[in-house]
Amino acid sequence: MLGLGLAAAPAIFQMFDRAPKGGDMIDAFEPYMTQARIAEFRGFLREMGAASDEAQRVVDPAAAKNLGLTPAQYAQRAQYLHAFEQKFPGIDRDMSDMLDRMQRNLANYRGVAALPPFPLFPWFFVIPGLLLAGSAAVALVARRGRSGRAAVIVVIVIGAGLIAAPAVFQMFTRAPGGAQMIDDFRPIMTHEKLTTVQGYFLTLGNGEAEARNVAIPAASLPAAATPALDRFSKDWPRINREMAPFVGVMADNIVNFEAVDALPPFWLFPWFFVIPGLLAVVLGALALRRSRSNGRDAHEPSDPGTEQDSTEQDTRQVTRTNTSVEAS
Amino acid sequence: MRSSSRNRPVTKIAAVAGAVVASVALVALPASAKSSKSSSLVGTFGVTAASCASGTPTSGSYFRMVQSGGTTTAGPFVPNADSTCGDKTYSALQPGTAGGLTTGRYQPDPSPAFDTAGNGLAAAIVAPTKFFGVNFAVSTNATDPQTKTATKKPSIKVSGKKLSGDLDAVSVAYGNQQFNQGAPKPDGSTPTGTAGPTGTYNAKTGKYTLDWSSAIIGGPFSGFTGIWHLEGTFKK
Repeated sequence: MLGLGLAAAPAIFQMFDRAPKGGDMIDAFEPYMTQARIAEFRGFLREMGAASDEAQRVVDPAAAKNLGLTPAQYAQRAQYLHAFEQKFPGIDRDMSDMLDRMQRNLANYRGVAALPPFPLFPWFFVIPGLLLAGSAAVALVARRGRSGRAAVIVVIVIGAGLIAAPAVFQMFTRAPGGAQMIDDFRPIMTHEKLTTVQGYFLTLGNGEAEARNVAIPAASLPAAATPALDRFSKDWPRINREMAPFVGVMADNIVNFEAVDALPPFWLFPWFFVIPGLLAVVLGALALRRSRSNGRDAHEPSDPGTEQDSTEQDTRQVTRTNTSVEAS
Repeated sequence: MRSSSRNRPVTKIAAVAGAVVASVALVALPASAKSSKSSSLVGTFGVTAASCASGTPTSGSYFRMVQSGGTTTAGPFVPNADSTCGDKTYSALQPGTAGGLTTGRYQPDPSPAFDTAGNGLAAAIVAPTKFFGVNFAVSTNATDPQTKTATKKPSIKVSGKKLSGDLDAVSVAYGNQQFNQGAPKPDGSTPTGTAGPTGTYNAKTGKYTLDWSSAIIGGPFSGFTGIWHLEGTFKK
């Protein structure tokens, strides 16, 4: 029953579908879950912040004056640049929060990425589960014979393997880290958040374009008077090239994240191995002990000199020993 | 006999009516059969650039993008501050090196499909168009670059003055990423926002309009929809 339960667990938790999605998500985020990439994105935010400040401080007054517009009229005329300037502090806060979440989960991500491939996860339950069930079945059928005892020993070995697996794969440290990462990413891996970030992308891109196409030409400032905006315009294709795929990864992995989030909590996973493993070892040991003591009882009234006698005794004792073997 | 003579006028009327119906049918049937028959237009749908400096395009070809959650009729539409149109939600399309969209064969991405800045380089159908500081480029490919699915050669049919067809091979290269912009999609589906192509055609002048829209599935603009309007002259 224990083995069949273990083998059935992946089907019950839809792991065959969800685990590969988790693997896809881990792979997709790999290029972004590095200190260097996060630092690069923070640099983009600083660069855009400096451009926004410079636009408001230097370019807008000069452009409005040259165009003969009031600040309000100019804000209307350069509406996309104005939107960029107004919205950037909020965008900066929100994007920085996303980067903070990524940064504090770098180690957790590495831990989860170092686990065996996600698509294999269901089989870590199915294969030992079936082996456990098969061995127990052999033990039940063979009862107290040598093959029965061997099958019980196999049950104990599989149990020990299940107990050892989380330690071997460092699941006790990695799985809680994965759980923490899932919790931390939950607020940002939603369709609402994706739409918000897509909107940021449009605000930033249009702000840059209007600064380049409208505001800076209208301001007629001397060359090199707007270094921050010049740098922003020069770097925007690169920022676009780097940020757009990141937004794409978010978009493409929301369904994958939801699948992983629907799995039992990550921190429980080591115990899904340890508890059935302990039960298999304990029950197997009990079965083995009873089998041996019953075997000794069976030997006492007969002549212990012949192996054949003892085998016959064993056969006669089948009914009496059923209970102990069935326990396994 | 009596009854026969009494029926004679009725027979005459029936004969005349039958002749009229037959005559009308002879004249009308070929016309209706002609109008329901569709034929393929194989050649190049030349692209005329949009006239839109003062606002929305009054004529010519353009691209629009609908924001996530919007509709192709009511928007909201994505403004492109790099657009040359007065209404920035329209991006005017200029003819490419081949003059326009060719049916019956592909106009694929060059290799590489992007320059170092991520600008798309395909230039046969329309000239690469600036969109948020980076050029998008349109191509048609035997294997869709985004979904890696086999596509059909672009085909447009005319039935009377109406156009229809299959443009599943249309793809856009932008910012080092590929977006299928076909209708239907290469797998034959028409996810929300995907429709067409439809249009009008004047066989005498070759003037046409061709419209389709295509949902963006995946990537940074996932959930958005591209609207394409080509206008110009068809040449075989």
